[in-house]
Amino acid sequence: MIVVGGLKVGAIYSLAALGIVVIYKATRVVNFAHGAFVLAGAYATYGVVEAVGLGYWPAYAIVPLATGVLAAAVEMIVLRPIRRADIFALITSTIFIGIGLSEIYRLVQNTEMLGVRNPVSGRPIFIGDVIITKEQIWVFGGALLSSLIGLAIFGYAPLGRGLRALAANPRGAVLCGYSIDGMNAMAWFLGGALAGLAGVFAAPSSGVSPELAVSMITAGFVAAVIGGFDSLRGALFGGLILGVAQTLAAAYISSATANAASFLLLFVVLMWRPEGLFPEAKIRDV
Amino acid sequence: MSRGRLRALGPILAPSGSLLAVAIVGLLLDTYWQYVMAISISAAVIGGALAMLVGYARCITLTTGAMLAIGAYASTLPVVHAGVPFLAALLFATALGAVAGLVLAIPGVRFRSHNLAMITFVFQAVVIIILRESKTLTGGAEGIHVPPPVIFGLSFSNDANFLLLCGALFALVILPIAVLLAGPFGKNLRAIAANENAARAFGIDVRRYLIAAFTWSSAVIAFAGAVSAPRFRIIDPDSYGLMTSIFTLTYPIIGGMGSIWGGLVGGGVLRLFPELLRPLADYIDLAFCVLVVGTLTFFPDGLASAVWTVGRRGRKPSTGSAAIPGVAVARIAELSSATGFAPPTHGGRHGADAPVLTIESVSRSYGALRAVDGVSLSIASGALHGLMGPNGAGKTTLFNLVSGFVRADRGRVLLSGVSLENVPIERRIGLGMTRTFQHAATFQRLSCLDNVMIGLGRNTVFEGTSRSIAAALDRESFRAERRTALSALAAVGLGARADDMASALSLGDQRRLEIARAIASRPRIILLDEPVSGVSAEEAHRLRELLLAVNRELGIAMVVIEHNIRFLVSLCDRISVMSEGKVIAEGDAAAMVDDPRVRKVYFGEREVA
Amino acid sequence: MLEVSNLRVASGAMIRVAGLDLQLAQRGCIALLGPNGAGKTTSVEAIAGLLPKAAGRVMFDGIDITGLSPSAVARRGLALVPQWRELFPNFSVEETLLAGSNAARGRPPIPAAAVYDLFPRLAERRTQLAGSLSGGEQQMLAIGRALVTNPKVMLLDEPSAGLAVGIVRAFVDAVKRIRDGGVAILLVEQNLEIAAALAESCIVLAAGRVVWRGSASAAASNEEIRQAYFT
Repeated sequence: MIVVGGLKVGAIYSLAALGIVVIYKATRVVNFAHGAFVLAGAYATYGVVEAVGLGYWPAYAIVPLATGVLAAAVEMIVLRPIRRADIFALITSTIFIGIGLSEIYRLVQNTEMLGVRNPVSGRPIFIGDVIITKEQIWVFGGALLSSLIGLAIFGYAPLGRGLRALAANPRGAVLCGYSIDGMNAMAWFLGGALAGLAGVFAAPSSGVSPELAVSMITAGFVAAVIGGFDSLRGALFGGLILGVAQTLAAAYISSATANAASFLLLFVVLMWRPEGLFPEAKIRDV
Repeated sequence: MSRGRLRALGPILAPSGSLLAVAIVGLLLDTYWQYVMAISISAAVIGGALAMLVGYARCITLTTGAMLAIGAYASTLPVVHAGVPFLAALLFATALGAVAGLVLAIPGVRFRSHNLAMITFVFQAVVIIILRESKTLTGGAEGIHVPPPVIFGLSFSNDANFLLLCGALFALVILPIAVLLAGPFGKNLRAIAANENAARAFGIDVRRYLIAAFTWSSAVIAFAGAVSAPRFRIIDPDSYGLMTSIFTLTYPIIGGMGSIWGGLVGGGVLRLFPELLRPLADYIDLAFCVLVVGTLTFFPDGLASAVWTVGRRGRKPSTGSAAIPGVAVARIAELSSATGFAPPTHGGRHGADAPVLTIESVSRSYGALRAVDGVSLSIASGALHGLMGPNGAGKTTLFNLVSGFVRADRGRVLLSGVSLENVPIERRIGLGMTRTFQHAATFQRLSCLDNVMIGLGRNTVFEGTSRSIAAALDRESFRAERRTALSALAAVGLGARADDMASALSLGDQRRLEIARAIASRPRIILLDEPVSGVSAEEAHRLRELLLAVNRELGIAMVVIEHNIRFLVSLCDRISVMSEGKVIAEGDAAAMVDDPRVRKVYFGEREVA
Repeated sequence: MLEVSNLRVASGAMIRVAGLDLQLAQRGCIALLGPNGAGKTTSVEAIAGLLPKAAGRVMFDGIDITGLSPSAVARRGLALVPQWRELFPNFSVEETLLAGSNAARGRPPIPAAAVYDLFPRLAERRTQLAGSLSGGEQQMLAIGRALVTNPKVMLLDEPSAGLAVGIVRAFVDAVKRIRDGGVAILLVEQNLEIAAALAESCIVLAAGRVVWRGSASAAASNEEIRQAYFT
């Protein structure tokens, strides 16, 4: 059914949004290049699955690693010197880094769109009147699982604790022996890895093309805003909500309004509840 | 025309002049170059408009493509469908652009940085979607054919006369931008980008200024879209997409953020690259991205600015004070009788007997922490009142409550008998209150004179606009303002540094500059937050002399927070001592030092065993 | 254990600390006294590596740590409890201590139980968020977080600021126990009585310079020092 399709798309959005929020929470930078990282992930998926022919299972491991390293490299090489500058410079830089990466892709790969095969195939499943394809289940389940793993790492693992400490109070984090440079790189690595995973899941249905970068950064950003931008759980739910809303709009109104739906949602949330639908309780700094 | 007026008008007419000059040069060349020049000056105008929003106000806007589209379609459709004359359609398109900017900005400027960027992105995307979907009106994705402009029966259909038309029209439209950016309006925008809090404290309503900036730049960009449309012959929504918006951002960023020329030259030159370097078209976009990121990293003020300042190196902050030793008391008296300048009207009750500031049982808590707990204070007209206490006692919070940066949970603050309860920060300077900040909050990239001109307090959007016009025409009103500001600078000893950037001053001189800015509007009371923190003992002594003279000559009351007790005692008549949010002692300055309650708070004569 | 030589900190033309020397032995406690703005916090921040522009030399446990990043300094066992505590508002007490133990990597860990033993109040509030604790409890947590880094030296910046009298006594006892446990302490205090109760020697700073050195008891009864606070 339509909702199922929406959930599948939404789960991918959740992954993208999660990466954006992880980077934002830890380093206070809104990464407008995130869509390009997803594109990189999709391209790497093509490389692993189609070009080299290793199949999907290695892709799930290799791709996030690669995009994580790419993101960390961007942080260390390009953003670190700019970090001292004001927010305008940082945001604008990420915008142009994103475009730049898309351009590199366009130069390397002249063809319009690359196709990647589906991870699973077979007859669809019928539940009552509802038709669900195996691919939908796989993508939805896989993306959701990845998001939950990401949440778990951030929330409970020692690495995540360091990132959260950095997010809560950089001066305090330093006193606990967390190095700011190291933690920043780790945050971008984690965010980039999540983006890469989003790319792996998105590649079969969206194809690999620069448009993917734009649609992913838009969707990821909107989902993050719906979730309150400072909340990981919010990003997860935001992505699902956005996915369903878009698919419903496309089905009942028109395909053009699918895009407009996400913008409308963004506008409504920012105007009505700018802290998002899942705000983290704000406690005064100690 | 007087020399002064020529000197003022020169820089304002220069952008228009150069656009016309480029057009005329093009006329002497062949049609290919005429075509190229037309593109170039169109991009220059876009760059100039973006200089206001992106360069001066440091807002990220992704709406340029949409505004160009609005201009192009709104001028073409009336001509094609209703036979409206070109000039009228042009006017309509520009007005529509202004309205679009307004509609976008009014809800949008609630946000900054990434949220604002996203809102502009949404606007951009929605406009293109609407244009693409409205097939009957706009021709949808296939686009619409644009006829050449016809003005009074003359058709501008070949490259040469089209270039001339562009030159004339663009020279005209860039004029208001040039006036605004050169004058106080532009300075106020830069103040907002430099330090929003300080800007608000001196009467600059940030949201309104940003709305105005959005409106003006959108209108000009729509104009550019409308004038350029005929050149393309066919316009379609996808030529005005997100990429256009993103790449026009490069004009002010690479060209230079601090002046209209950065946008003009950036636009005019950068737009030519894809035209002139056709064979390398694929690599141009990538090259631009690298250039932008590189510029942002190494030349935050833009490449052009970096090149221009190579000759005149910005002076490093001096270590000593450049202030003239001894206080120029005469100059202060001059300030008080400065002719032609009327300070912003101060409402409320005046007169030597009425207290100028009354704080009644004011409290403010943050969760469990009572930052300010039932503080009451009364400052008489012309009084010098000190505020001291250990760290965390609530002194700065109290200042923030009085100046409006923080709302009180309970109690109220009265200025000249007028309650400040719903008075926003921006209006307090008009009621006679100014302040300085703990970390010298001068506008670093503005000159000392500009800093003090902002201190005059005439900074509503309307005043900013009318003063910019007055500045362009070298009117007496503006000259009087300038004289007043110079007097204030001279009074604090910085007369010789009027044209130096605030960032070039030593810390002590920056504190002086803050004082000059605070007295320029001849307020009734100034709140000084640690005015001598970080300066040498000598400099503290000189600042004390200055403050005493200001108080004596101009009758301005002062409330001073300081940790330097000796300074405080030598300056103030009365001192209040705060601890843990409460005033624990108040009285004659010298007596406070020996007061046992005060010693207890500082030394903790508590039983410890 | 900790040897500071000729520490100088300047910001622009203003000299904040001009030539501070001190030697802190194992299990020793030195108090750094002086009025606001004297440079006490600046000195301690410089020692902890938070001020990269500081000049001079800091030797910690025989190793030159001058110029190391503050996180590296923390990992070596020099713990700072800053004036503003710098806790994580949304971390529970437990989690804060876990975060702190990150700095003890590679060295034998100090279990959270030791902190709970020292501050029973914290044990009761194990799962409570740091942002909702009272001022005194937050101070306890800040000290506890420094303790789990297994430090050899602890720098305490005005630990008694803003605390009620009853709690101050508990603090003094706790710091004494920490010292007895083998940690050397450099204490920044405005409160002369507390300094006298904990430190065997004092250094008084005024306007960045050392104006007096001596035993704590001599400092407590010295009228000159009281005057120094007001010049």
